[in-house]
Amino acid sequence: MSKRKVKETHMPVGECISQVQMILRERFCHQRLPEKPVGMESQHKHLLELLRRTAVHGESNSVLIVGPRGSGKTMLLNCVLRELLEVKDVNKNVLPVHLNGLLQTDDRIALKEITRQLNLENVVGDKVFGSFAENLAFLLEALKKGDRSSSRPVLFILDEFDLFAHHKNQTLLYNLLDVSQSAQAPVAVIGLTCRLDVLELLEKRVKSRFSHRQIHLLSSLSFIQYLDNVRSQLSLPQDFPDTNFYDEWNDGIKVRHFSSYPQLVDVLQRHYNSSKDFRSLHLLLMLALSRVSASKPAIKPTDLLEASRVCMVDSKANILHGLSILELCLIIAMKHLNDIYEGEPFNFQMVHNEFKKFLQRKSHSIHNFDKPVVIKAFEHLQQLELIKSMDSSTAKIQKEYQLMKLLLDHSQIMEALQKYPQCPTDVKQWAMSAFG
Amino acid sequence: MVRYFTRLRMRRIYKWGGRPYIFDRKLKSYGFEYLNMSVEGQEAVTTVTPGQYILIEGNDDEYPFVAKLLKFFGDESHKQKKALVQWFLRLSEVPQNKKLLLGRSPHPQEIFYYLGRACDNEINAESILDTPFPEPGTKDTLYVKLSWDTKAFNVLDPVLMQDTPASTPPKPALPLFPPCASPTATPVSRGPVRRALPTPDPTVMRRAGSVSDTRATMSAGKRSTLEAESIHSASKLSASKILSAKRRGSAADTPGVRKKLQLSIGASECLYLRMKELRNSVCFPCFLIQVTPSTPRHATPSIPSRTVPARQPGNILEEARARLHVSSVPESLPCREQEFQDIYNFVESKVMDGTGGCMYISGVPGTGKTATIHEVIRCLQHASDMDEIPTFRFIEINGMKMTDPHQAYVQILQKLTDQKVTADHAAALLEKRFSNPAPKKETTVLLVDELDLLWTRKQNVMYNLFDWPTRRHARLVVLTIANTMDLPERIMINRVASRLGLTRMSFQPYSFKQLQQIITSRLNKVKAFEEDALQLVSRKVAALSGDARRCLDICRRATEICEHSTSHPSSAGLVRMNHVMEALDEMFSSSYITAIRCASLQEQLFLRAVIAEFRRLGLEEATFQQVFVQHRALSRVEGLQPISVSEGLAVCQRLGACRLLLLEASRLDMLQRVRLNVSQDDVLYALKAVRD
Repeated sequence: MSKRKVKETHMPVGECISQVQMILRERFCHQRLPEKPVGMESQHKHLLELLRRTAVHGESNSVLIVGPRGSGKTMLLNCVLRELLEVKDVNKNVLPVHLNGLLQTDDRIALKEITRQLNLENVVGDKVFGSFAENLAFLLEALKKGDRSSSRPVLFILDEFDLFAHHKNQTLLYNLLDVSQSAQAPVAVIGLTCRLDVLELLEKRVKSRFSHRQIHLLSSLSFIQYLDNVRSQLSLPQDFPDTNFYDEWNDGIKVRHFSSYPQLVDVLQRHYNSSKDFRSLHLLLMLALSRVSASKPAIKPTDLLEASRVCMVDSKANILHGLSILELCLIIAMKHLNDIYEGEPFNFQMVHNEFKKFLQRKSHSIHNFDKPVVIKAFEHLQQLELIKSMDSSTAKIQKEYQLMKLLLDHSQIMEALQKYPQCPTDVKQWAMSAFG
Repeated sequence: MVRYFTRLRMRRIYKWGGRPYIFDRKLKSYGFEYLNMSVEGQEAVTTVTPGQYILIEGNDDEYPFVAKLLKFFGDESHKQKKALVQWFLRLSEVPQNKKLLLGRSPHPQEIFYYLGRACDNEINAESILDTPFPEPGTKDTLYVKLSWDTKAFNVLDPVLMQDTPASTPPKPALPLFPPCASPTATPVSRGPVRRALPTPDPTVMRRAGSVSDTRATMSAGKRSTLEAESIHSASKLSASKILSAKRRGSAADTPGVRKKLQLSIGASECLYLRMKELRNSVCFPCFLIQVTPSTPRHATPSIPSRTVPARQPGNILEEARARLHVSSVPESLPCREQEFQDIYNFVESKVMDGTGGCMYISGVPGTGKTATIHEVIRCLQHASDMDEIPTFRFIEINGMKMTDPHQAYVQILQKLTDQKVTADHAAALLEKRFSNPAPKKETTVLLVDELDLLWTRKQNVMYNLFDWPTRRHARLVVLTIANTMDLPERIMINRVASRLGLTRMSFQPYSFKQLQQIITSRLNKVKAFEEDALQLVSRKVAALSGDARRCLDICRRATEICEHSTSHPSSAGLVRMNHVMEALDEMFSSSYITAIRCASLQEQLFLRAVIAEFRRLGLEEATFQQVFVQHRALSRVEGLQPISVSEGLAVCQRLGACRLLLLEASRLDMLQRVRLNVSQDDVLYALKAVRD
């Protein structure tokens, strides 16, 4: 009996680890809703009140939630909806309709989707919806039929609201907002967008019908709060089955551990400086979490450092490391051309000449290449998008004379040369010399 | 067998029959006993005599007008053939808003005795359709039970139906209305009806059998008396359809025809119930129709109703909020008295004269254009109910509520006649309706909201809308609304602008006094606002746009803030200055500065780099590569670790997504050009505040 009890509280390490992985991954990747949105209490209250009034009193409303990407707009809305649907009276009374500007790219599709989500298609039985016009008239009639006190409130949630403003004539927005401003079925139009200038996109008639309520989600998180967030995101929940493991894990991410590693604080500070949003933090923590295994059953500061290194790495550095010496030489030639002509575009012939000059004057280790080989290397660089053609592709210009631009910064080239395995010294020197 | 023909293909010939007698000496008109109608190239002659029930050619081929013939007369030359009729209305001819007065769903074949005066009861005799009536007792029989006097449905006075015709009808037996068609006589005739067994009538069965087997069997107990109790006639289309089906059926039994006919019946199971209900009140022929269940043709969509009723406002602030909602209909429309009067006079005079006209109304959004017109129509409708002006129909379309300008025709026609047709067909039907004289016509008032959306390249929609009122028989008044004052000059070609005419009106934005008055009148003695607070809102909105909607929204938001500011909602007092200020701040202040302040350090640094690069170049545009060089230099100055190009691009993209920066397509990578979407001063101001 006692043996079994001990077994329950002390799971094997492997099992604990898989539990941890599951819980934390759900948090980082599945956008699991937190118990309570952090740092946006007033916005939460405002939105909840607003939607509650629509649900309970049948008052029509419209609101925009504006905030940069990753600032928690959808999270806030979902938290509010979850809370709203927990209320007994509201639960069966509201009809949420979710639309996304990236999915419903025009009003026709959006209308079909609304009809589907409102289950209105059952009304017409097996009759297939005819035209777009019929569909619009049908939906408007349905909304017009309702009235404030008797019909169920509809919550229209428009994700990527700014994209709806690009639809022809903004018909959908006009009609939804018009319903929200007239004595028809009660609706709440909730738009989510990251554009601060979204109101300027609305046509004047549409704008006048919008209530101008905006909820801004601009996080003014301090670094201390950011560190707290990191900890709370990594910590295990109370109901973790293995108490010992739970204590160990949560101890491992305590404050003193963090502060005893100045390097770690530095890295986190850098992340904080770059962006405060949860998305990038989740990416970092996810990378750190993936280094946890049965043999290493805790997150160490080194894991975070390594994860941050992966996060921060330049995307083009790895491509440069994989280039051949010839391709690298061509890139150096381009760099010199950029220096000489102050960023003017170049063509293959110029690069080839520069390269030949280098071979004649300074090179000891590199042999002469045939022109077709050099062209091939040049084309490979173009395929890797390290260089980009400036002409439109339709122009019939011979390959050698097409104008190109280099998509690399000097610092990137120099960094890559430092790390390039067994780079010939004369090539390095050529790269570092002021002029070719 | 009588030959049927359709009006479109055949030309009918009308001839007076019998001896003319002097009808009116002064007008030199002669009365005639009957009218012979025949079709060119055919021998069959139909004779119509006064007292018969006839069908009269109308706008709708499927549902011709129904009337009872009273008298024939013509002039000396026998060129003009006229007839006096007593009209019967179908329900579709009753104005939409009056249909509810019936209080029940009507029988599809039910018609109403018309007691109004708006319709001319003198018709051209050549518009009489000579479709023979089918044998009594078929499903095309029309029933009359109530009369309609443009205001209410009344039980039909039996005296009205008593006047029997002088001569007996020669050919298709037209049943007469018996004096017993009144509710008082019901119990007498109801008994046998109820007891009657559903014995299939041979003639009906023959007809039904040739069309469809499942369609209808009618119980026709006590046939002889029942036949006499109703008007029997046939809708022309159905009759010709039955015939064509018969014709085809004799050659080959085509199932396609059969299917179509079943659809055209379109009866539902509830018909039986409805009939039962009718039977209890009036002696009607008793039907028992077995129908295959099918979906109703015009399903009415609706949002499901809620399980818990909406809560009513609990305290003063909630009450005020409900009253301030834009959707709540105010008791009166203050501050638009002059405009109201002008529009009222315009529409009233047109309705009185039975002429047509156009009016163009402009004004920025939220100045009460549509609301005023609705108010005018409400008043006019009231006046017509009080019999001060003739009845009229009001139709509203909105350019924003249709997907294509040509849908305007479809919507107008649907609202006029409940027909659903394609845009081209609708245009043709409307054209016919408005250009031909029709016996029963009331004035139509058409409101076209958001006129600019009806613009097409050829402008034919607008052209038609403004051309119809100028037709002699149209009796159409068109009120158009748009936002810009010079819309006719800007977007309309000459022939359209000229037809629109110069009856124009513009709604000025509200002044602060008017806005204040609007709020006060809406609140209507609900004391929720301080006087000063109201004034602040109205002044602010009047200075910015004069949009009443904005004003109401701000006040609504202020009540919310007021409610939240106190711990307990019931203890909240009046909405004060500071609440209004907060609401104004929320709605009008630009969020750019806050956004810059809340941006991450690297993002702020990037904005500074952008400005530094602009200053260096002397241009308002730079490539990412150039800005990034500055960014590096700045981060060295600030003692920050320089970030990689990828990170820099991510920072730049984030700023671009908020639209603090305007960026080119991101496939250009480092070469994409960067511009600021905020003024440099704003950026510097926001960043300076951060560093302090």
